[in-house]
Amino acid sequence: MKCEVCRREAEADSSLCAFHKRAGESLRSEYKSWSEAYGELTWEEYLDRIIENGETGEWVVEVARMMLLGKSRA
Amino acid sequence: MSRQSGLGEGFTLVVCEKPDAARRISEALAETRVETLQVEGTQVFRFKRAGEEFVVGAALGHIYGVWDPFDERGVYPVFDVEWFPTDMLGKRASFAKGRIESFRKLSVGAAKFINACDYDVEGETIGFNILRYACNGKERGALRAKFSTLTKQDLVEAFENPKSPSSNSLALAGRTRHVVDFVWGVNLSRALSESVRSVGHTYKTLSVGRVQGPTLSYVVDREVEIRTFVPTPFWAVKGLFQKGGLQFEAEYSIERIHKKVDAERVQRSCSDGKGIISRASRSLFEEAPPPPFNIGDLQKEAYRVFGYAPTRTLQMAERLYLDALISYPRTSSQKLPPSIGYAKALAGLGRMQRYSKEVDEIRKGTLLPSEGKKDDPAHPAVYPTGEQPRRVLSSWEDRLFDLVVRRFLAAFATQALRERVTITIKVGELEFKAVGGTTLKEGWLRYYRNYARREDNPLPPLQEGDEVKVIGVESSERFVTRPPRYNPSSLLEKMERENLGTKATRAETISTLINRGYITSDGMSTTDLGFAVIETMKTHSPAIISTKLTRDVEENLAAIEDGREDARTLVRQTIRILSENLITISSSEELIGRAMGGAISSALSAQYVLGSCPVCKTGKLKIIRSKKTRKRFVGCTNYPNACAASAPLPQKGVIKTTMKVCQKCAWPIVYVKLGRFPWRLCVNPQCPTKRGKTHEVRSLQKRG
Repeated sequence: MKCEVCRREAEADSSLCAFHKRAGESLRSEYKSWSEAYGELTWEEYLDRIIENGETGEWVVEVARMMLLGKSRA
Repeated sequence: MSRQSGLGEGFTLVVCEKPDAARRISEALAETRVETLQVEGTQVFRFKRAGEEFVVGAALGHIYGVWDPFDERGVYPVFDVEWFPTDMLGKRASFAKGRIESFRKLSVGAAKFINACDYDVEGETIGFNILRYACNGKERGALRAKFSTLTKQDLVEAFENPKSPSSNSLALAGRTRHVVDFVWGVNLSRALSESVRSVGHTYKTLSVGRVQGPTLSYVVDREVEIRTFVPTPFWAVKGLFQKGGLQFEAEYSIERIHKKVDAERVQRSCSDGKGIISRASRSLFEEAPPPPFNIGDLQKEAYRVFGYAPTRTLQMAERLYLDALISYPRTSSQKLPPSIGYAKALAGLGRMQRYSKEVDEIRKGTLLPSEGKKDDPAHPAVYPTGEQPRRVLSSWEDRLFDLVVRRFLAAFATQALRERVTITIKVGELEFKAVGGTTLKEGWLRYYRNYARREDNPLPPLQEGDEVKVIGVESSERFVTRPPRYNPSSLLEKMERENLGTKATRAETISTLINRGYITSDGMSTTDLGFAVIETMKTHSPAIISTKLTRDVEENLAAIEDGREDARTLVRQTIRILSENLITISSSEELIGRAMGGAISSALSAQYVLGSCPVCKTGKLKIIRSKKTRKRFVGCTNYPNACAASAPLPQKGVIKTTMKVCQKCAWPIVYVKLGRFPWRLCVNPQCPTKRGKTHEVRSLQKRG
């Protein structure tokens, strides 16, 4: 199976390649610290802010966009 | 054809590495007129000194190289390699033929041989190969002239006391490095290329060198870190305070506040407007001059202050060395031994107007330079010889020369003395800190100030218990920043720290990674191809890109240099490691080929894409070759349906994308490399920047 984002070979347990899978994991793991930092933050707001932030890695942005489109947590 | 040079017999043949060095050596040693002669179309110099006749010939770097004698494309493993004249290995080295023939003829009449190539591993290898192959086995009896500058005094000393080498261990280490690196490179490149070819793809150069592999893996690892980076927010609180009409800033004692609500609380708590100085401390500290330059430090500093790529710095430093303006640059040493003659170098610099005042000051003090820890048995740190330039230096060279001179002057200066003031302000229960610093005594900073600026940030005179007014407190939202990409300087530093490659080859390895299309030249980000190579190696042959393996080889090569290790052992060990890995790669050819195929296709097409089309905004501008005229031009991918944007291109030279667009017209800018110096060109012939230059542009395109 190919990665949903970049068409590289997907990992056995995922629809993403190793790189985008790692980006997705980083994205999920940081949600807690973001929502604590701002007091209240929905998942979609978090993804929006991540996409807009200039420091965010490009694979994270791609995964965040994909998640926003699918409204899922992939 | 005559086997003799026609220069008679009984002379001393001096073997040099470069023509400029040969000329300088001849001019320095000659007590008669220096005759310039041609032997086999190659310039040689003849003169007399103390009644002895000298003939000086020059190579042009390596004129012998390691190669696979069968040279069958795609066939591996290759372990039986031989040394060949480089002109037999490719058109680009055709110059070697005349030089080898010239040495061959000269050696017939020579009674004595002196190797005067650069005194380091590469120089020893060049000299050894010429003496062995072109001069028919004269490497054993040849004498060695060792020098670190091309000044008359150093050269005369070196040639009056030439050494009789006890062993050729430096040359042996150099030759072993060439063999190991060739065997490594040719086998892995062929194995990778064959894998790719086995699934129907082709790619002209796909390589993983012994040092290239681990270096590329550093860049790839960092790139993965950057691309998977998620910034986390924090808040920084800063206060503006006032005492007796003087204002100063102080930062809240917790540098990163992780919750917005906490930052706002700090801000609200400071609203009563008063603070008390709870602590005020002053400390003095001395700052020692930076160590004199070795080549790595010089490359890093030139990148930091001028943005010069390490390869460029090395080339320019070698040019300055050949002009006798600085000492031999390929050195690891950070030491300036008294034998270099401080007074002579300073006296020479003092005769240059721009340094005369500073040199006068330094000569009044004790001439005892500050040094670093690193040493090199062959050469001292890079220093200016004090010779006057005989030609006008380019502005790039002049800047580099000034950097070397000022670093040398700084080494003789005293330490700088600086004061640090730290103040703690209590606002209720909260603490703010202000740190100020001033230079009390410039010391070495006076000579190196253009390159090592220290900002003064004085604080008002404050005592413990003083009351200060809070003018305002603000909190700002910030984000943890992602790690920076490597740049040529930081990557060079990483290679140095990990003991990968040599001082002479590290910069070249970085250039090779760029030329192979594994990393980009601007910004040094990894390309798809770079990712594919490292991913493939990590999966199928991780040892090949491991730092440990490469470092072990470097340590063994160092041991061969010192005579502690047998070269054959290292070659056997390399063959064993490679054999194991080649078997793995060969058995996974198809898997590897498929894994790399996509990246190769995108790398190939990316070579031709220059950027977005500014006319239709949806297509890409690409380099296209006309089927009819075979000429290349720029065209839009939306042609012929939606866009007819096109532009002519120079027909000769290499054209590369810069991924940048013209500020005036938004068309892509390309690099054009034709001859030694590449230039940037906006591909739009109607670009406003070209108004009035139409003739020039046309003639460039015509020239191309």
